[in-house]
Amino acid sequence: MQWRKILKQMLFLFSIAVISAFTINFFSPTGIALVGRWDETPGGVTTNNDTLTDVYEIEHPEIAKQIYDSGKAVFVDSRSYDTYQDGHIKGAVSMPAGQYDGLIQAFGEKYPTDTFIIAYCSGRTCNDSHKLAQLLLNYGYMNVGVFIDGYPGWKVEGYPIE
Amino acid sequence: MVIPAGKWRAIRLNNQVKYLFNNSWLEIACRWTLGTTFIYASYYKILSPADFANVVYGYNLFPTFSINLIAIILPYVELISGISLFLGVYPRSAALIINGLLVAFIVVLTINLVRGHEFDCGCFSPHETGHVSSPTRMVVRDVIYLILGLQVFLFSGQRKLCIVP
Repeated sequence: MQWRKILKQMLFLFSIAVISAFTINFFSPTGIALVGRWDETPGGVTTNNDTLTDVYEIEHPEIAKQIYDSGKAVFVDSRSYDTYQDGHIKGAVSMPAGQYDGLIQAFGEKYPTDTFIIAYCSGRTCNDSHKLAQLLLNYGYMNVGVFIDGYPGWKVEGYPIE
Repeated sequence: MVIPAGKWRAIRLNNQVKYLFNNSWLEIACRWTLGTTFIYASYYKILSPADFANVVYGYNLFPTFSINLIAIILPYVELISGISLFLGVYPRSAALIINGLLVAFIVVLTINLVRGHEFDCGCFSPHETGHVSSPTRMVVRDVIYLILGLQVFLFSGQRKLCIVP
């Protein structure tokens, strides 16, 4: 029976795929947990791979605004440069998470490691601000926070943008 | 019995379509195109499963417990089926798996297109935050791939350069 043969072959190919997927994911340094944290309420979503515990999360735009008004923090935009140019928090510095390696040296020379840094991206569904915050902590910055509602949350409140 | 000229034309066209569909060079072209496309598509997903999981989450369609599992398994199904098509190992079965994936992609894209949900396709590469794809273009592209997949699946002649036909 032709269909039975095809079904068996499909099952064979699918089994190889599933076995390789779980085996490689288990041993790979970039492997992820089988179940992630995809609930937006406590903060940014994550595949459960990232260490979020060291990062201070700002959950309310009003608190981010208070920090902004105090002038004590540098806001860092972790989205792509094109998206940054389309609109960003007024005075924010662009550092796309994917281009960290190329930009960190100049950033490090300009801002000492005791600078208070607030990273943000496109809201709770994006992970770039957490990634960048973790990289900045690893670099040696001691006060790094993430504004989890990001640019959309800031804009909707009518806070200064450019 | 006299067959009208219009019907003759239809029969001739039908035979030409059949001939084209059963052309072994066309079969190998479709098989390799689809195979390399799916191998390429799986590449970034395998390298950065966390980014791909974020893309899957962005579709806003799947239950949360399944997101990481989809991000882990799907790239390897694409890879194995792609290699299988390229090398010619069970090409009909691999084409059927890929057609199944393509139908699923088309359904998912269409749902988001209809409800106007903005998302990143993440089909071939992870975009940085804020990127939004055009679902209409992606649906058209997937339909074209589906036609290639159907050619490989329905081909009944002798397949060229096939390890296990």
